[in-house]
Amino acid sequence: MSESLSIAALGKLVDCWIAEGRHVTGPRRINGRLLYARLDSAADLDLTEDERPRNSIKQVLFPRHEELYGYKLGHKRIELTESETPIAEQIVVAARPCDAALGPILDHVFNWDYKDTQYNRRRELTTIVTLACRHHDAHCFCTSVGSAPDDPRGSDVMLHAMDEGILEVCCLTEKGSRLFAGRCDNLPSPSSGRGAGGEGISGDIANQPVLPLTPAISHRENGTAPPRRFDLDKVQEFLAQGFEDSRWPDLARRCLGCGACAYTCPTCHCFDIVDEGAGKEGVRARNWDACQFVPFTLHASGHNPRSRQNQRQRQRIYHKFRIYPEKFGPLLCTGCGNCTRNCPVGLGVAPVLAEIARNTP
Amino acid sequence: MIATLRETCRQLLSDGKVDVVIGYGHDAAADGAEDAPVYPVFITKPEDAGRLVWNDRCHANLAVYLKHEEIRSLGRAAIIVKGCDQRSLVVLEKESQLDRSKIYVIGIACDGLDRPKCRTCDVHEPRGADVIIGHKAAGTGYPCAGGVPSANGTQGLPDTLPDDRYAELRAFLARPSAERLAYWRQELARCVKCYACRQVCPMCYCRRCIVDKNRPQIISTSATLKGNFAWHITRAFHLAGRCVGCEECSRACPMGIDLRLLNLSVAQAAEENFAFRAGDDPAAEPVIGSYAIQDKEDFIR
Repeated sequence: MSESLSIAALGKLVDCWIAEGRHVTGPRRINGRLLYARLDSAADLDLTEDERPRNSIKQVLFPRHEELYGYKLGHKRIELTESETPIAEQIVVAARPCDAALGPILDHVFNWDYKDTQYNRRRELTTIVTLACRHHDAHCFCTSVGSAPDDPRGSDVMLHAMDEGILEVCCLTEKGSRLFAGRCDNLPSPSSGRGAGGEGISGDIANQPVLPLTPAISHRENGTAPPRRFDLDKVQEFLAQGFEDSRWPDLARRCLGCGACAYTCPTCHCFDIVDEGAGKEGVRARNWDACQFVPFTLHASGHNPRSRQNQRQRQRIYHKFRIYPEKFGPLLCTGCGNCTRNCPVGLGVAPVLAEIARNTP
Repeated sequence: MIATLRETCRQLLSDGKVDVVIGYGHDAAADGAEDAPVYPVFITKPEDAGRLVWNDRCHANLAVYLKHEEIRSLGRAAIIVKGCDQRSLVVLEKESQLDRSKIYVIGIACDGLDRPKCRTCDVHEPRGADVIIGHKAAGTGYPCAGGVPSANGTQGLPDTLPDDRYAELRAFLARPSAERLAYWRQELARCVKCYACRQVCPMCYCRRCIVDKNRPQIISTSATLKGNFAWHITRAFHLAGRCVGCEECSRACPMGIDLRLLNLSVAQAAEENFAFRAGDDPAAEPVIGSYAIQDKEDFIR
């Protein structure tokens, strides 16, 4: 069951959400570049379909800098103060499916042994409205990692762009339904019927049952999905025994060692804990970190178990395609292609895995 | 031109003059496709010289690789440089980071990369190279004005006049200071501290960057406005009189922060106050590395 909505009506809805005090994030053009960013109004929302935002929506659930608690050193005692728990409701609108999938993936990590209060609170408060892709570029490879341009994983609502500025709205969760159901007075009432005047939501979405997830095959059939870049089975077969393979230095030789891949990746989630403050008072904070940086594994002794860049590249591939899947099940990759799109030297998951698959019998 | 480039490199490798050519290439699997991605390649066998390419996507300043241990271990290197890249070799040599006699420099005439093409270049034909492939289009040498069609039929860009080089910066500096601060607050707020700007830069060769030093932590590692200002201002200052303006940092930034303006600002200070341009004159003493009693200081404010 689904309903339809015009793009103009989506805009009105976005303005309503913002007016109601929600933090809305969506693709926004900044200095000519499409980036997920906080929207000040619906006018900021850029629904360009044939360009993928160069960052991910990760920031919404896992900010690049987050204060965990404050500390104060007193005489023989340490006073700790709770940092403010996030309270604002957040909405991501027009997320790409390869971004929306990050929720279920990060959930494992932030609830594995310690249940991360701040992450879980943000997750609870966040609703993800995804726009299924009708286009892909040379870097997209969702179909190579078992996903698809209309994969509903992690989405609360799925929007499908139809012709003539109409969006098909599929609410997949209660949270998603609540967002679209009769929340805005200035939209035509449900009784106005499907597609009336090309404006407004038709039908009473609130009363629709939560949709079952359907296998995402339509885009593969009509050819808008990216071609498969590598055979995942072959890759995993190689990784099972390829840790010491002599080709790693060649595969990663051009890597410059920045964190553009990790920081624009929806699923990379490593962080560093830092204390910031003056003297006896300060805050303990969590900052993004990346396995591509030299100090990431640097020991206090000066020894670095990953002393060469190709070892750090190998680590990134192994974490995504072997270590994480062994521990939690799914792959730590959604095939968004941002690693390659943002790499100054065109490296990233797909080129490396394609090379591996090509040379694995 | 590409045939000459490949043949030159093949010859260098087969004659044993060099062990590796650092250049731009396609994936072996690209099979010569025109729009195949271009990235740095390290050619060690003469028969692989055919993988080398040259087009307007050959952005990377390959001089950055000369400091990499993994590349050094391949042996004596030939490196393909554009005019801007060659200037970074001059700076590196002045700073004792490379022995020019141990590398073979293949200069390649470049009429500007990207769209829009590099706007402030005045070295379309590299200097000081061991060999130059191609030549700049007739009539585009400095000083001149107006582009003319180059040999390959594209619009060749003229070398810029000194006045043009800082035109964009001057326009920015003409804005009120509150506006400029607001601009940088807005831009640097997006920085995620991936350090792509640092990693693509041949001049950022410190074995341990100041942001990676944590005993004590001088510069906050947090990607907050405070931490980001500290990082970018520190980096700009460290590039004073050293940045050659290859613009790779701006291209590499995933968040689209135009770092050129910061670099142009310090480059202008070096040029206007010390008549010094990084990498321009191999005989000139580095502006930061030399001192004269008559050095101006009135530009410090």
